[in-house]
Amino acid sequence: MTFPELRERLQPRCDELIAQYPSKRSALMPIMHLFVDEQGYASKDAMRFCAELLDLTIADVEGVVSFYTLFFQRPIGKYMLQVCRNLSCTLNGAQEIMAHTRARLGVGHLETTEDGLFSYEEVECLAACDRAPCMQINLDFVYDLTPQKIDDMVAAMRAGTYPTAPLPQTERPSRTWIVRDDQEIARGERSAGGIGVADPDDAGGIGDPTGVIMLDRIVSDQARFAGRTRERTIVEPAQILEAIGE
Amino acid sequence: MPSFEPVLMKGIGEADLRDISVYRQRGGYRQLERAFKELTPAQMLDIAKASGLRGRGGAGFPTGTKWGFLPGSDAPRYLVCNCDEAEPGTFKDRMLLEETPHLVLEGILIGAYAIGCRHAFIYIRGEFKRGYEIMRAAVEQARAAGFVGRNLFGTGYDLEFTIHRGAGAYICGEETALLNSLEGKRGEPRLKPPFPATQGLYNMPTVVNNVETLAYLVPILERGAEWFASVGSEKSKGFKVVSVSGHVRKPGNYEVAMGTPVREIIDLAGGAREGRKIVAVQPGGGSSACIFEEHLDWGYDYESMQKAGSMLGSGAIVVFDDTTDFVAAAHSLVRFFAHESCGQCTPCREGGHWLELTLERLVHDRGVPGDVEILEKASHQMTGLNLCPLGDSIEPFLVSVVKRFPEQFEERVLRFDGAKRG
Ligand SMILES: Cc1cc2nc3c(=O)[nH]c(=O)nc-3n(C[C@H](O)[C@H](O)[C@H](O)COP(=O)(O)O)c2cc1C
Ligand code: SF4
Ligand code: FES
Repeated sequence: MTFPELRERLQPRCDELIAQYPSKRSALMPIMHLFVDEQGYASKDAMRFCAELLDLTIADVEGVVSFYTLFFQRPIGKYMLQVCRNLSCTLNGAQEIMAHTRARLGVGHLETTEDGLFSYEEVECLAACDRAPCMQINLDFVYDLTPQKIDDMVAAMRAGTYPTAPLPQTERPSRTWIVRDDQEIARGERSAGGIGVADPDDAGGIGDPTGVIMLDRIVSDQARFAGRTRERTIVEPAQILEAIGE
Repeated sequence: MPSFEPVLMKGIGEADLRDISVYRQRGGYRQLERAFKELTPAQMLDIAKASGLRGRGGAGFPTGTKWGFLPGSDAPRYLVCNCDEAEPGTFKDRMLLEETPHLVLEGILIGAYAIGCRHAFIYIRGEFKRGYEIMRAAVEQARAAGFVGRNLFGTGYDLEFTIHRGAGAYICGEETALLNSLEGKRGEPRLKPPFPATQGLYNMPTVVNNVETLAYLVPILERGAEWFASVGSEKSKGFKVVSVSGHVRKPGNYEVAMGTPVREIIDLAGGAREGRKIVAVQPGGGSSACIFEEHLDWGYDYESMQKAGSMLGSGAIVVFDDTTDFVAAAHSLVRFFAHESCGQCTPCREGGHWLELTLERLVHDRGVPGDVEILEKASHQMTGLNLCPLGDSIEPFLVSVVKRFPEQFEERVLRFDGAKRG
């Protein structure tokens, strides 16, 4: 379905949403949810349409959309696996679950598998701490995780027998939905892992500014990453001490 | 065993309370009808005040007093129910939403009537997709039964209701950020004053109340303000749904009378794991400092938790036994706050990030001399300097465990020769 067709189909529901509020602008998030449910992500087309409907600038709409982590601004996988990394889950073995899931899928935090089937993210408390460690798959809760349970679920999703419906996927996802394109990561200026110092052995590590996690992966999967590497620099703790004059 | 019948949690797990006919068979919506037919808003305000009910969203502000701040004008006014629940360790509002949506709705409608609101809202966290769908169905049922919409109970009172779904941002639980989000803006907290009571949603007088706070209005109307006020301690009345998780055998939600000893609540949740000893407890969600063994016999209420150096907060208890790596625990929470900072205030945005980096070094046994001192110092530089309480919430847990278990942090610092310290 083309975007103009989709937009025509959803127009009446957008009008209903606008009518639910004393002020038109309040319908911004509900309208974006509506389009995300159809397109799988918050597309530029949807933002443009939303701006038109609500008499806002596109920049205004994008400013709001980019504030919220559930409005993915780039296409994602058919199954979005969001594992909780917060306190109660950490106390109950989330590290092991995250390590296992990363290894099983072959991706890191904020990344999508090459085949476009899975996206993976480590998220904050999901309000299911009584059933830790836990995760959401396409926003359905999965409780009391074990490595075996992860394996079974991943196998079922691959086989198309997993009970939670896949997300719509109107476009092929790239490596991550966080930066604009793979090139930025490849040049080593950005990484999918976002901020933070990371240790390659740290399963729950989120950051990768030095590219360590990625380089490890590149080393083990050279064909896939051919031509996209950069020099690896490891700062030894002793060097830090020297630098600060201790 | 609880020494009394559950109040809000009554019937959960026994019957499908999502079905309006089941809920009504058990007396549901009778208090709403009574409020509309027999009570004036002024009487409702008196009941709320007399009950001693305090907000269950975190700050513990007396509910009746909050309603009393609304100006007496004819301007439209709004009630917003806060179901953005994302405080680490807290999972009571999600349970109420998913298991007994009509009780939540009835509480909101009663609260709306009490403050003269004609359009009420519930803000549901984006991750709660199932809860959102359950609430949507509940509202449709209630509308068909004449509890939402025009001319309620033939009194001429119109009451609209809108469900608003968030999209992943803890900060939207802060009431002014929530109002911005509801207005279709970025979820950034507003500078106060003006407070929402005078200039809230769409610049109109507004009350924001937690799910549990509003739900308690139903039993309070049913059994009377005196009944509620007769339970608990001097400044903490009634009951509390407590989320217990971490190192216990039966994590879950337990409803208790205010003032129940912390140890008893932990025992309800199955107590410590086999052969383990509890060394610390976080009593009020991710924003609260830890309390320790010596406080376990203290009552779980606002005053005692404050006296113990912490707070009751959102009513979430996280239990730590003697296997806990407190560096990893602190890292997990600090990373959370750094991730959720909206970025408006420098101490919160930058301070959170630096604390996270420092803890990340320590977690990987790569701390540098001075790191442990920095953890404490940086927090002193962060408190009281922010627009909203999130910036001040980063340090309490961290500082409390650094002080109590300094050796766990120190031993992660490398010495010159690269060997682990002491
Ligand atoms: C960062 C932050 C997050 C908050 N999150 C929530 C929340 O998820 N749910 C909630 O009810 N209150 C939350 N609060 C408290 C609200 O600002 C507000 O005090 C509360 O909803 C008022 O309701 P009450 O009076 O019934 O407690 C949060 C506050 C802050 C500063
Ligand atoms: S304290 Fe933090 S979360 Fe609160 S307004 Fe400031 S930057 Fe935003
Ligand atoms: S800590 Fe994982 S769900 Fe709360």
